[in-house]
Amino acid sequence: MATEYFLRMGDGQKIFMTKEDIRADIEAGSADAADLGDIPALSENEMEHMLDIITSPGRIVGVEPGMEVPVTHDIGAIRIDGDQGNSGVGIPSSRLVGSMIHERAFGADTMELGHIDYSYKPVKPVISQECQTMESCQQNMIIPMLYGAMPNMGLYYTPDGPFENPGDLMKAFKISEAQDSISHAAEHGIRDMTWIMQKLQNVGCDGVNFDTIGAAGDGDMYASLHSIEALRKEFPGIYIEAGMAGELVLGMHGELEYDGTVLAGLWPHQQAPLVAKAGANIFGPVCNTNTSRTSAWNLGRSVTFTKAAVEASTIPCHADMGMGVGGIPMLETPPIDAVTRASKAMVEIAGVDGI
Amino acid sequence: MWFFPHGCKGGCNTANEELFKTLSDAVVSCKKDDVIAAVGKAKGKAPAVELIDNGLAAGMNEVGVLFERGKLFLPHVMMAADAMSAGVELLQDELGSSGGASSKLGVIVNGTVEGDVHDIGKAIVSTMLQAAGFEVHDIGRDVPVQNFIDKIKETNADMVGLSALMTTTLQGQKEVIELLKENGLRDKVKVMVGGAPATDAWAKKCGADCYAENASEAVAKAKELLL
Repeated sequence: MATEYFLRMGDGQKIFMTKEDIRADIEAGSADAADLGDIPALSENEMEHMLDIITSPGRIVGVEPGMEVPVTHDIGAIRIDGDQGNSGVGIPSSRLVGSMIHERAFGADTMELGHIDYSYKPVKPVISQECQTMESCQQNMIIPMLYGAMPNMGLYYTPDGPFENPGDLMKAFKISEAQDSISHAAEHGIRDMTWIMQKLQNVGCDGVNFDTIGAAGDGDMYASLHSIEALRKEFPGIYIEAGMAGELVLGMHGELEYDGTVLAGLWPHQQAPLVAKAGANIFGPVCNTNTSRTSAWNLGRSVTFTKAAVEASTIPCHADMGMGVGGIPMLETPPIDAVTRASKAMVEIAGVDGI
Repeated sequence: MWFFPHGCKGGCNTANEELFKTLSDAVVSCKKDDVIAAVGKAKGKAPAVELIDNGLAAGMNEVGVLFERGKLFLPHVMMAADAMSAGVELLQDELGSSGGASSKLGVIVNGTVEGDVHDIGKAIVSTMLQAAGFEVHDIGRDVPVQNFIDKIKETNADMVGLSALMTTTLQGQKEVIELLKENGLRDKVKVMVGGAPATDAWAKKCGADCYAENASEAVAKAKELLL
């Protein structure tokens, strides 16, 4: 009987497979990315290396000394305190304490302050509190402290915002009205995100993390790119990280453009140059995990997409690695075996600059 | 099967193939004027049912494929569906009383379960089901369990689609299924589950009839279960 190795399904379930089956899944996952993105599949050597990483006998794996990359945490300031099923550990602590724990105990290289709603729009009425907390963090910490939130354009549509929900309008075949609603919401999003960061920059914030760009489709990305552009113009030294929500920009509007490029349908290697053009310092490529496929298939696919983005990008790429992305299973607290394997593959095969 | 993307229903000659391709291409262009013009030229040259099945519907199927591959998006699907509806409307007088492809394929109640505010994926599934010919009642997001039952009764639905995007709300899908049983509706109503944390294994575990990974698959699975 052939030796079987422990790995996982995309939903985290433990499974055992032979080396041959794992290799076949890596190849199939890579081929899927290559087909969709019209990009090169992984080479034989790269797939063999990934196979070695996945079948490594240890529970956790790591890169060689000297090959480490910077690690940034999103919403980490409230990860210690959070206890609402949002992957927090429920230990009462302020956001300052949470951030300092990440800096001094967990070895985070950068940190971000985030509000519990973690979207830009709800920050507007509490901007004074955010500025005060940011100032406290800056006075107590050494590592770069960014402000992070999601563009989350969904909050601008009914029932959460003033504009008619494009989904409802589409269903009623009001296509141009839906597109107008997205365009109007995007203009408000640009204004809000830029205003919030203007306030935070004035209290010493080191930069901004646009987290999950494109979550509400191409209007979401349109607003984010224009806000990045405005912030770069006003604050030449601001550090801007632009992380995506998914591998593909969904065309909820379908015809929005940035710098002459239609945003709908862009894959990570096509997103990277636009993000750089807008003025970001770091691009965060994303590849979604398929819960019905093995971690070998997902990692093969994810590394293929990310490698192409790294090659196409003129700015450093920090891959989005967490639950349900980057070849990691969709679990609230992703298992360390899968996280370390996916991280090692991203660094050594995709060539990411950070995580 | 309603769509025949790679051939003609019951066979067809070369002239008809060109006719069907023109109709199909017009739908893929997502332009209503092009579809109306193409139907105007094709009308009377082949049976209306064939013009719809082999031409317009084949084009709509191609739109679905392009949607799945990230080449076309929701607005394009809607424009194509709108264009196709206009084309079918022009052929209504030739369809007779049989109804043909224009009749509803089934009634589906679709919603995101209680506690989960995610909307977009479910909205896309609703739209694709509607574009495919189902009567869809989208009851929104964060929907209380009882509301699903009430809507199913009100619309005499054949199927319910349950969306959940978080591991913490996935259980809500099972709760709807349990309430369907309590109301004596489970044998009558098919159940489809979807959303990022859902899988085939979860569908079996919670007692659903199927799991759909994306909007295109939701259409295919709905047809499998209801037609």
